[in-house]
Amino acid sequence: MDIFVQQLVNSLSVASVTILIGIGITLIFGLAGIVNFAHGEFLMIGGMATWFMVGAGMNFFVALVFAGLLVGALGFAAERCLFRFTLNRPMNGFIMSIGLSVILQHAVIRVFNEFQKSITDPVGLVWTIGGVDIIAMRAIVVAITAVIVAITYFGISRSRYGMALRASVSDRDTAELMGIPVRRYVTGVFIYGSLLAGIGGALMISLFPITPFTGSVIIIRGFAVSLIGGLGNVGGAVVGGLVLGLVDGLSAGYGYPEWTDAYSLVVMILILVLRPQGLLGGTLGPKAS
Amino acid sequence: MAMPATDNSAGKMGAATEGARARDRLALLTADNAAVPLPASVQATAAILLAALLIALPWLGLGYRFLSIAITTIYTAIGLYGLGLQFGQAGIMSVGHAALMGVGAYASAILSVQLGLGFWTSLPFAMALSAIVGGVIGLPTLRVGGQHYIIITFCFCALFVIVLTNGGTFTGSATGLDVGSVTPLPGVNFDKLSNNYYLVLAALFLALAATYLIGISRYGRTLRAIRENEQLARSVGINVDLHKLGVLMVSGLFAGLAGVLQLYYLRHISPTLFGAFPSLYLALMVMLGGARYLYGPLIGAVVVNFLPEVLNLDPVDSRIAYGVCLLLVILLLPGGVSAGIKNIYCALTGGPETQTQGGGSDGRA
Repeated sequence: MDIFVQQLVNSLSVASVTILIGIGITLIFGLAGIVNFAHGEFLMIGGMATWFMVGAGMNFFVALVFAGLLVGALGFAAERCLFRFTLNRPMNGFIMSIGLSVILQHAVIRVFNEFQKSITDPVGLVWTIGGVDIIAMRAIVVAITAVIVAITYFGISRSRYGMALRASVSDRDTAELMGIPVRRYVTGVFIYGSLLAGIGGALMISLFPITPFTGSVIIIRGFAVSLIGGLGNVGGAVVGGLVLGLVDGLSAGYGYPEWTDAYSLVVMILILVLRPQGLLGGTLGPKAS
Repeated sequence: MAMPATDNSAGKMGAATEGARARDRLALLTADNAAVPLPASVQATAAILLAALLIALPWLGLGYRFLSIAITTIYTAIGLYGLGLQFGQAGIMSVGHAALMGVGAYASAILSVQLGLGFWTSLPFAMALSAIVGGVIGLPTLRVGGQHYIIITFCFCALFVIVLTNGGTFTGSATGLDVGSVTPLPGVNFDKLSNNYYLVLAALFLALAATYLIGISRYGRTLRAIRENEQLARSVGINVDLHKLGVLMVSGLFAGLAGVLQLYYLRHISPTLFGAFPSLYLALMVMLGGARYLYGPLIGAVVVNFLPEVLNLDPVDSRIAYGVCLLLVILLLPGGVSAGIKNIYCALTGGPETQTQGGGSDGRA
């Protein structure tokens, strides 16, 4: 039982990062209509920035905020300079984001190097709750993610802005006629999703070492999570992240660790073919082309 | 110089029945716009000059390294012609195309290791297998469109690498497989680099001829009709599903040929050659060159393979340069470098205006 609880916290903390990137993708893909393949690189840059700032002597939690803001600014720049021009041609935007991901990945290698980076556990405490040892940082990661998920969920489903955003997804022209500044919302969603990627990167480096190539691995999991849950569906992304985390945990525990990456790929292909709108329902993505 | 492009603007329609209107519109969509292709004399001159240059290349004394890169460029271009066909003509993009080349290469290598089949005997099997796999991966295109299909191809590619890496001795795991040299034909030994070059070049000419013939044929026009408006094409009685799978299988044939040539040039293959990065570069090359143009894929392959060499870039810088090129091409020149060259040519000679359609790089606008 003790080991089970420990494993649960560990798996949850790993799933947290996946959920954060999944929410970013689900919002940007499902609500802003942009397929951003560089999103994993955004996360990696968030992690690298955190590593750099912590290495320079900054407190981890301050660095986390700065990493989020930095990646948010990066997202703003990318949206304004690149994706803005391909809003009506999502396929071009997709191909362009692949180019962006190659650029960012190798720019990081150029600035730092291709070796893995890690930071020491910023909290360094182990809590004993009811006889169970829990690494404090992992619990904090789960808590931060839970707060972000709650804010995002209520922001999208309850707030005025979320309603306007969903209106502009279901009918852009009408939403514009109603006075909703659709383009500004698209930019806003893109920035918010990027910010989450930055925070996700900072949380990730507090758990494991990352390399410049981490982004291209985690992006697949991010897409899997968002497509399993249904695009634009925050709750779906959370469920997707938990399912994927569970599958990974089980496969690692029951003897086929070398196939771990394959499961998310197979699940994603099956979902795309059988239920393109996701298990919990969502938009079909930009223009459902 | 270019493939006959189709006219995007559905023109005026007479007061006809719905069906006749649809047919009119389709005729406008698929018509080989006579103003667009360059004069036949120019096309023929370009073809002859290009062929002469490529045939003369080994005698220009450019050195071993240059010829090696040329071989790499050419077998890549052969694979790209398949991708160019499915994307440029039928509008189905894939970012897992290297995996399809890998199917051909691994099929040939496994036949060689397990059954001792040589280059010539394993080639048809490898090409057929690539075509079949191309068709099977293509099945989802019947259900999902555009971006979803791209993500599926990417997953397939990643999955293929995992399967190869976990395949034990059958696929050689992460270290891969080795093969001997190409079985010599009477009097021609393919161990010599220039002979290997001519082998690859002959395959390139085949690919070019096939692409050209498909482009001017009724089949090519049907594919373009599907690209421009799938539902309209369906409504006038085109079997869209069959044509989509068909073009993906043809694309698989090209990929299989390219994969086998790659295998017998390198003599050693490993899973990383066919993973996500090579696939993304193939997509980049075809976008860069211009998928709808006859020489587009070749130009894309030449630019991407020779640019780092010419500019003397290290791998990291050259990858950054690729990315920047891709962004610039999509933002500024959606028809690719070929469209740019053609526009410049037309501006200089005052020839027919090219209609660089906004959709030059986008199949499913």
